[in-house]
Amino acid sequence: MKVLLVEDNERVSCFIINGLQEAGHSVDHADNADVGRQLATTRSYDAIVMDRMLPGNTDGLTLIESLRKEGLRTPILILSALSDVDERIRGLRSGGDDYLTKPFAFGELMARLDAQARRSLTNPEEIHLSIADLHMDLLSRKVMRGNRPIALQPREFKLLEYLMRHAHQVVTRMMLIENVWKYHFDPQTNVIDVHISKLRQRIDADFERPLLRTVRNSGYMLTDHE
Amino acid sequence: MNRMIKSSAFFWAAIYIALGILALILFAAPLWYAWRVTINDGRTELLLEDTQRLTSVFQHSGRQGLIDFIHLRVGMQIAGDRILLLADENLHPLAGNLQSWPSTLPDKDGTYTVPIPLNEMPTQVVVVKSTLAGKYNLLVGRDIARYAPLEQRFWFGLAGAVAILSIVGVLGGLLIRRTLMSRIQGIRQTVSAIIQGDLGHRLITKSSGDELDTLSGTINHMLDQIEQLVQGIRNVSNTIAHDLRTPLAELRSRLEVLAVTKPSLQVTFAEIDESVADVDRVIRIFNALLRLAEIDAGVRRSGFVRVNVVRVVEEAVDFYLPATEDKEITLAFSAPEEVFLAGDPVLLTQAIGNLIDNALKYTRRKGSILIELVQFENGKVNISVADDGPGILDVEKSKVVERFYRGTAGRDTPGIGLGLTLVEAVARLHSGKVELLDNHPGLRVCLILGS
Repeated sequence: MKVLLVEDNERVSCFIINGLQEAGHSVDHADNADVGRQLATTRSYDAIVMDRMLPGNTDGLTLIESLRKEGLRTPILILSALSDVDERIRGLRSGGDDYLTKPFAFGELMARLDAQARRSLTNPEEIHLSIADLHMDLLSRKVMRGNRPIALQPREFKLLEYLMRHAHQVVTRMMLIENVWKYHFDPQTNVIDVHISKLRQRIDADFERPLLRTVRNSGYMLTDHE
Repeated sequence: MNRMIKSSAFFWAAIYIALGILALILFAAPLWYAWRVTINDGRTELLLEDTQRLTSVFQHSGRQGLIDFIHLRVGMQIAGDRILLLADENLHPLAGNLQSWPSTLPDKDGTYTVPIPLNEMPTQVVVVKSTLAGKYNLLVGRDIARYAPLEQRFWFGLAGAVAILSIVGVLGGLLIRRTLMSRIQGIRQTVSAIIQGDLGHRLITKSSGDELDTLSGTINHMLDQIEQLVQGIRNVSNTIAHDLRTPLAELRSRLEVLAVTKPSLQVTFAEIDESVADVDRVIRIFNALLRLAEIDAGVRRSGFVRVNVVRVVEEAVDFYLPATEDKEITLAFSAPEEVFLAGDPVLLTQAIGNLIDNALKYTRRKGSILIELVQFENGKVNISVADDGPGILDVEKSKVVERFYRGTAGRDTPGIGLGLTLVEAVARLHSGKVELLDNHPGLRVCLILGS
């Protein structure tokens, strides 16, 4: 994956660049909006990580707005120290695709970047999702594992749908809360883990090969890869 | 004096005095006019009547008859009161109480107001001049000055009224000003004491319930709120210092030990993981505090929308439901079909989530939680979350909503002590409140939202 990082803080940049390179991605770094604009418009990237506060006259949101006006479609993830719900809404309205509050865990950033970069590959209109022998029909709302139908509660269905759309990717607890439940706060308990373990019982319990795996320190992944 | 003029009481007194005088003048002017017209008309009529009578005497008794009649009349009267003069065609006086024909009088017959020397003083007199047969000239008149004392009394009366009005007005103004000043002085003293930093002072309110009292009451209410907030901030600074210091101290010692002992790579990584968890705890506290600050600032009220609270609670219940299965807790929810109110769905969800989360934490295995949503007739909505856990001691009830306070029962459960504080802040933002009741056994938390 080719990522453009627009971030002026050296330490944060270092942290992100190292992490991304370690995960096998290539990173271009711009430490101000002008360089960022130049790189974003002249080269092609799979995703852009944009700090909201940038030195000079142009801040991250203004840069995103102007890039979107110029027709850039690359997924953009906004990094910001502003955590208010209103700020988040403003960030997404300016044309960002996701919003991550500082400080953040690298696993969270990576998972979100993955989700954004691959979103362009998956078709949201898709009515049939499948991984290995797990199949989901979005029209009839039926789930099958092998030949056996699996009955799911509406919320479990949505959770599984999200996991299936992001198959083979790490999905963090925060991503699940935000995208499946549309909540924007930290529920402070392990509720998500409980939801996942219930879902796991439904889809994995009687099968030899578990699909829903826990990724330590990050979240979960639905995959049949070894 | 400058201060006197600037005083609003004095200013208003002046305005009222001016208005009073204006009213007096408006009242007196038509009266004066009517009076003048009536008197003048009456006088002229009398003079014309006199003239007629004299004319008829002349017609019946001739020239000498009239002269005798005039002598008779003049002899009966006080000079100056009434003027009678008969003159020949050359205006030589024949009979009457004037020495000479007034030179300023026009030749034509009619009614005139002319100055005539009476008692050696030129006096304004109304006269009727008529010409009798044989070109005799007859002058009948009355001295206007006769009514002058009456007029004078009228003016004196008016001036007196104005004077009394002014004096009473000024005195009233001064009195009101003094009363106002003394009360304002009291307010000012209290406020200066508060500015000095002693927030315990309150304005004195009388039971009269007048405007100043109402204002004082409102200000006192504001002071209560400010004192509470200041107290809150003081507590917060203390507790933040304490509650952030604990994980930070842990983190510091962990890192220090790591640097000193240089353990194996595996142990090091495990310690790093623990350190990250410590940092996460600090971040979580910060986020919760920021959230509270955001709510307390009231800025989110601009984001109020029409919310179906039943749906919000339902979703929250749905979210937490699986977490009850571990401890085999029964979670029941009852609510009407839908209840709408203006609010912030994100904050309401978080507040209700916190309540359910608390209930889950403190409910024993196989316990039960009942969530009820009721709308009262006055439009207020009561969302109550009742558990059968250990409950909260009465003495602790007022404290648990304070920042970082953790009840004795909750000391060993995970949490940062901001949950109920947030619920309370959300309630306040929605013009509501949080009530902690006994559930016999357990706790019933009521989140009451204004309509």
